[in-house]
Amino acid sequence: MPHQCTECGRGFDDGSKEMLSGCPNCGGNKFQYQPEGADISETPDAEPPEPPGPDSTVARTVGKTAASVRDFVSGSAADGDRPAEQSHLDADRAADSQPSDPSHTSGSPSTEPDRTSPTEDSAQASARGDIVEPDELPSDVPSASESEHQFRPVGADPDPPAEPDREDRPDLEELRAELNDQFESIKVLEPGQYELNLMELYDREEYIIALQEDGHYSIQVPETIRSE
Amino acid sequence: MGLLTNLKDSISRAASTLFSEEDPKRIGIYGPPNAGKTTLANRIARDWTGDAVGPESHVPHETRRARRKENVEIERDGKKVTIDIVDTPGVTTKVDYTEFLEHDMEKDDAVRRSREATEGVAEAMHWLREDVDGVIYVLDSATDPFTQVNTMLIGIIESQDLPVLILANKIDLEESSVQRIRNAYPQHETIPLSALEGDNMDEVYDKIAEYFG
Repeated sequence: MPHQCTECGRGFDDGSKEMLSGCPNCGGNKFQYQPEGADISETPDAEPPEPPGPDSTVARTVGKTAASVRDFVSGSAADGDRPAEQSHLDADRAADSQPSDPSHTSGSPSTEPDRTSPTEDSAQASARGDIVEPDELPSDVPSASESEHQFRPVGADPDPPAEPDREDRPDLEELRAELNDQFESIKVLEPGQYELNLMELYDREEYIIALQEDGHYSIQVPETIRSE
Repeated sequence: MGLLTNLKDSISRAASTLFSEEDPKRIGIYGPPNAGKTTLANRIARDWTGDAVGPESHVPHETRRARRKENVEIERDGKKVTIDIVDTPGVTTKVDYTEFLEHDMEKDDAVRRSREATEGVAEAMHWLREDVDGVIYVLDSATDPFTQVNTMLIGIIESQDLPVLILANKIDLEESSVQRIRNAYPQHETIPLSALEGDNMDEVYDKIAEYFG
């Protein structure tokens, strides 16, 4: 199963059209591409093998960057490794632009992610050859240029498991709250109710001297402290 | 030229040694709210200077600004140790004015107390970073010492390489367990005491002289 839903872990055949309108199980729209022979973990949040330390953000970033660079440099090999979204985008675009000539689609080398692959299963053949039925597509299907814009970054990113976090929390309030958790030294829940981030208070150079009701606070800058 | 520089260096070195010996060590009294920090600070100050440091209260966050008592001379075995005692507000991760309403306080006063307490914690954390040479960490031996705040603060103190003396206060209370504190922080020496009753203060002063002298 070369594609795996990053939400629920469901597997899909290479080039399967089922993924086009989201995972039938959970509606997730991020899929991880696993080339043949790769060990697919059942857990959707399993880390790809590249990053050495799954818990370390730095390690993950470095691993991700290294993988991106490697894919970019290795040219034709990367074509075969392109994630599901990219190959489907190609098929989708081909279907949109050449609806009456499927043979042209299959003959076009520039849109052929699987051309170099000696084995082609039925799902791949179907994805390349068949026109996508309108009811198979989501109702708000974007135009080709929009979908390209939307999918390209994912195609360049071999580390989809890092994505669901962002995808899962589109709520700006929640995100802000999370950032507050990480960066605020004093959180004003309401006047008279405060949460303190001791580590942050200890770490900061400047010195909070007065809190105001509206959530502002006065600080004393380090220079002032030194001159005292 | 080199000779002159060397001479200058050695003079300034001698001067700094001289001053560092004269400068009293600034010892911060840290711990969670209501552990008895001010009671201890007052006990030490009264024993050696005759003055108090600040008002004590069973209402949490009575101390909302760090209070300092300078030049407290403690005499041990004919040797004098001079320290500045800094009594700090109780360190906590949450301050809520509704907690004070239970102590017959008006809402406005409770909110103000809460705000001042928060400023006090910020101040105490800042002092810990730059302004103390040693720490007396006061714990209420009748309560659970395994808290996030205690672990974090003692960790910070250790990372600063500051000398730290852990005091298991309130041994006059029936529920007191000094062993629980020893178990929680086995890497440090724990001294039992009752700052309120003045129990075991001799050992506390011995240790202060030993750790911060």
